[in-house]
This record gives sequence, C-alpha cells and structure tokens, in this order.
Amino acid sequence: MIIYNQTWLANLRLQDQVKDDLDSGLISPEEFKAITQKYLVGFYTPGIFARVGMAILTLIAVLFGDGLLAFMAASANIIESWGFVLFLAMLSYFVLETLTKQNNYFRAGVDDMLTLIAGCQIVAVFVMMIGNADGFNIAISFVVLVTSLWLTIRFSDRLMSAIASCAVLAFIFFVWIQLIPAGLATAPFIMMTASGCLYWLAGRYAGDARYINYRDCLYITQAIALLALYAAGNYFVIQTLSADMAGREGPVPFGRVFWIWTFVVPFVYIGISVRKKDAMLLRIGLLLIAAAVATFRNYYHVLPTEIALTIAGSAMLLVAFAIMRYLKVPKHGITTADPDKINSLDRLRVESLIVAETFSHAPDAPTDDGTKFGGGSFGGGGSSANF
Amino acid sequence: MTDELYQNLHVECLISDASLARIQAKANKPRLFSVHWEVKTLLYIGILALTGGLGLLVYEHIDTIGHQAILLFIALICVGSFAYGYKKRKPFSAELVKAPNPAFDYVILLGSISMLTFLGYLQYQYNFFGTNYGLATFIPMLALFFIAYRFDHLGILSMAIANLALWMGVSVTPKKLLLNADFDNLTIIYTYLVLGCSLLALSIATQRYNFKKHFKFSYQHYGIHVCYVALLAGYFHNYDSWLAFAFVLGVGVLSVIMYLDAFRHRSFYFILIVLLYSYVMISSLMVRLTFSVGDGALIFFLLMYFVGSAIGFIFLLMDINKKLKAE
Repeated sequence: MIIYNQTWLANLRLQDQVKDDLDSGLISPEEFKAITQKYLVGFYTPGIFARVGMAILTLIAVLFGDGLLAFMAASANIIESWGFVLFLAMLSYFVLETLTKQNNYFRAGVDDMLTLIAGCQIVAVFVMMIGNADGFNIAISFVVLVTSLWLTIRFSDRLMSAIASCAVLAFIFFVWIQLIPAGLATAPFIMMTASGCLYWLAGRYAGDARYINYRDCLYITQAIALLALYAAGNYFVIQTLSADMAGREGPVPFGRVFWIWTFVVPFVYIGISVRKKDAMLLRIGLLLIAAAVATFRNYYHVLPTEIALTIAGSAMLLVAFAIMRYLKVPKHGITTADPDKINSLDRLRVESLIVAETFSHAPDAPTDDGTKFGGGSFGGGGSSANF
Repeated sequence: MTDELYQNLHVECLISDASLARIQAKANKPRLFSVHWEVKTLLYIGILALTGGLGLLVYEHIDTIGHQAILLFIALICVGSFAYGYKKRKPFSAELVKAPNPAFDYVILLGSISMLTFLGYLQYQYNFFGTNYGLATFIPMLALFFIAYRFDHLGILSMAIANLALWMGVSVTPKKLLLNADFDNLTIIYTYLVLGCSLLALSIATQRYNFKKHFKFSYQHYGIHVCYVALLAGYFHNYDSWLAFAFVLGVGVLSVIMYLDAFRHRSFYFILIVLLYSYVMISSLMVRLTFSVGDGALIFFLLMYFVGSAIGFIFLLMDINKKLKAE
C-alpha cells in the first residue's frame, strides 16, 4: 500500500536511531559511517529550508499550470463543470505518484505540496458535485475522510493523518446529530467516547510493529484525539454549538458537569503525562489549562485583563522557578536539563526571532501625540508553545 | 527489539564491543524525562503575561495615584533582574558565553522589557528626555545593545535591532514590514536601505573580527530581509523612471554577494531567501517585458513562463542542495 521502499524506511529509522547514539557519544563517527553505508537510504529528503522552498515553487508551478489548462479549455466551456476539476485532481495525483516513484521523493517539499493540492482538488470535485443538497456535512466529511485516509496510507503523510483524524470525528458528529432525534443533547458524550476510542486505537496501532511506517501519523492522530476529547466536554464549545445549531441560548443543561470537565481534564492529562512520562500529553495538558482559563474568563469577568495577566504571569514564573529549583537534581526520573539532542531548528535561533516579533513595538509617532506610550505588547504569545 | 537491533549490528561488526556495552549500559539506566522545553515555554509566556499586564496596568491607571506604586514595582523588577544578572554574570568574552543557568536568560529578558516600560513611562509623564525623541529611543537602544553583548543574549540583540530601526524611524520585524508597508515615500525606502546595509555590514564585521560570531545570524537575517524589501519597493516606486534600473542592479549585486556568503557558510536558509527574492525580481521584470511587447498570446506566454520558471527553480534548489551536501 505504501508507495515507499520499505527497506529504506526501516534503514532510515535505524539511521535516525544511531544518529541519536552518535550525538550522545555512544558510538564513534566511524561506526556511524559504517552503519549508514551498510544500511543505505535512497530517498531524496532535503533539509527543511529546501523543503519549504520547493513546496512554495511547486505551488506556483501547479497554480499556473492549472491556469494554463483552464486557459486552453476556456473556449470549450467546460471550466465550470466538476469534470474539469476532476481532471486537474487526477493530473495532480498522477504527477505526485510518478515523481515520488521516479525521484524517490520522501518529504521533499514537492510531494508534500502535491499531496495537499491533490487532496484539496478531490474534495473540491465533490463539493461542486453535491452542491447544496441535504446531508452535505455528512457527505463532505466522509469524502475528506476517505481522501485523506488514502493519502495517509499511501504517503504516510502527517498532515493528511491529522486531517483524517478530524474528518472521522466530524463524520461521527454529523451522522449522530442528524440520525438521532436527541442527537445534539447527547453529542458531547458520543464525541467523548469516539475520541477516547480513537486515542486508544491509535495508541494500539502505534505500538504494533506491523504499522511502524505509520507511527508518526498515529501519534498525530493521538494528539488530535486528546484535543477532541477535551473539546467534547468544554463548556464554551458546547454552549456555542448548541446556540449555533439548535438556537438555544443561555446556560447549558448539566452545566456543572461540563465545567468540571473543562477544568479537571487538563490536570488529569498532566498527571498521567508525568506518571507515564509522555511529552505529548504534558504539552497538550499545559495548553488546555490556558484554554480552560480562557473559557472561564469568557463567562465570568472576575478580574480586569491587566490584573489577570499580571497575576497569571507571576504565577507562571513562580511555578517555573519552583520546578527548576525542585528538579535541580533529577527526581522521579524527570529533569529540566536540555535533552541531549541537537535540534536542527536551534541553528536558526528560533527563540530570539520570536522574542523580537512579540516584544518590539511599532514605530509610534513621537510620544506626545496621544495617550499611549509603548508598554509591553503581547500579541500572539500562546503561539510560541513548543509544538 | 532495540536490543536485538544492536546485537545484529554487533554481529555484523558494525559496532565495537565497547560501543555495545555503552549502549546497553544506557538502555539499562532509567530514562530521564526532560521537561526542558515545557519549563522554558512556561517562563517565556510568564514573562510575556507579566510585563504585558504591568504595562497595561500603568496605561490604564496613569491618571490615578496608584500608578506610582505600580511603577515602583516595575522598577523593582528591573533592578532586581539586573542585580541577579550582575551577581551571576560570567566574565565578558568575544566568544559564545553559555548562560550560567537555564533561568538566567529569562531573568535578563524580564529586566530588559521592564526597563523599556519604565523608560517609556518616564518619557511620557516627565518628558525625561525632553522633546528630543531621537534620544528617547537612542538611549534604550544603546542599553539593549550593551545588555545583549554583555550577557550574550540573542533575544535582547533582536530587541536592540528593532530599537535601532525604531530610532531610525522605521520598523524591522518581518510581520511589521508586511503590515505597515507604506513604501510610497522615497525617504522611508532609503532609510530602510541604509538600515539593511548597516545590518549586513555588521554581520560581516562580526564574522571578520571574530567578535561574538554567533550574533551574525541575527544581523544577517534582519539585514537581508530589510534590504530586499527596500530594493523591491524602490523598484516599484520608481517604476517609470530610470532609477528603477538602479534598484534592479541593487538586487542583482545584493543577491550575488549574499549568495556567495551563504554558500561559503553553507547556510541553506540564506540561499533560499536570496533565490526567492531574486525570483520575485526576475518575474516582475518578465511580466514587465511581456506587457511592453504586448499582443494576444501574452497571458499564455506568462502562464508558460511561471510554470517553467517554478520547475526550473526547483531543479536549481535541488542542485544547490546537492552541491552543499557534497562539500
């Protein structure tokens, strides 16, 4: 099913593993060289910047190429039919398959972008075909699911696996509220069950040696499932959805249950993550604490923003310093030391760029023209969470 | 399974006895779980929230008595942070100086931001620097550069560069470059050009004189974007005059210099930047040329050009990538 040479995939995993050993000084450079020469990998995988550049250029080529085809087809009056889009989709997919096979692309930018484009085009075909018919949501989420699932299976693409995970949950949600009379009221519990099952299933397959080529994809699925599990019981999500879909304003029935869920689940995640030493759970848990606070502040304006920010900031600093102090000597197998891996992004000094982006303020005109002086600006702070 | 894998490698004589022993020793040790990035992120967001909150606090309560207490608090944070930095400082060196502990950089960051807030307030309320607005941005900039070099802090260096731009009357972070794009004014374009060139000169000097070599990236990163954006803006601003030609020439010269430098230091990031901006320049020249000839098959030709050139650039990227790896 998978398009890639499976021996190479296995060799690539081996190489990655011994690269870690090399970085932490367990094996010598000569040994590393010998191993990589014996276990060859024939894929074409450039560095991250080449990948980004090639993806951008691929997008340009495909956009203008499709434009060219549309230009040529314009006289035949077929551009507005879904058949033409289907033709473009098939063309994209054909190019994707051919190039990947011929040039042994593996996460090379060209294949990533073509996968995305082909997927979007296929979905566009069905959107044009179905139009405004009943059950549009169900049909489209199903189409997205099938398309992205196939692209995941074929190319082991992580973005596609994320889309597939969202699509399967969306499909269950739409089917449930459409088919069951009291669908919307019971939907939170169904979605909790569904995302819980998804998490469990993905975890099971991720541990299975037969599906080792999809391990990264399954981890992504797990992360999506964890987020969905939380969102299914989050008060804000439920209230907004019931207001949007059933026109029911005001508090939600069983509100207390959902409030408890909103606040307890992040801490449960963190608790489990510390016990199981699972970085993904920990990060999602930390992120969800912020989500829980935001949810609360959306309904109860207890403190003005500036005081809330000041208190929250101080609290975070205190917690961070406390953790650092407590873990100065590693305890319970947990450390705050830098993992002895060389992160390739470190060379870019990502952190310093983020600092500049968030703390530098606009060149305000001379300070006497208004009421404002450039205090700390704090846009987009949450986006720096290490994901 | 992992164990078996290494046993196989050992049997194949790919790893020595000693290495195998080391690997096994590590596998038998309990694995440490690192929360390094999580704690750092927490610190960073904490500083963001605290300084943002305090800044807002002063801003909202500027007319009440209480704001002086808040200011005192900000000043205390600032002094406290720098006192900590001073106490834990390491001797100055022109090389990379590792922070004495993981929290050090963040304490310095906290101190610097609160210093900016404090100075901004002084200027607003008491006209500390008088009506000399140049001085009001110049002093913080000097302070930031000093902190960046003294404590070896890349984040503060970026802030200092942003302040340098502020002092020159422009903005420098990529987001702002895109958002504020008011390039209708030739003075602004020239200011950007001067700024970009001085940053690039600094990046080269940093390397040449071996003084804080690891700061080169920051200077070069901001310098190259500012230069290209200014040159392209200058080209479009002077579209119909002969000056446009000078800007095209500028892009050409900059590309050659930067490309050679990036190739020498094997930085694919800068090669990519050079190629993409050059591509924009070449394409706009191409569009211009086509329209100046102008006839029926024009759109057709342009579409062909874009498809062909994009594919061509992909091959070029692959080729450069191969060359870089080969070296």
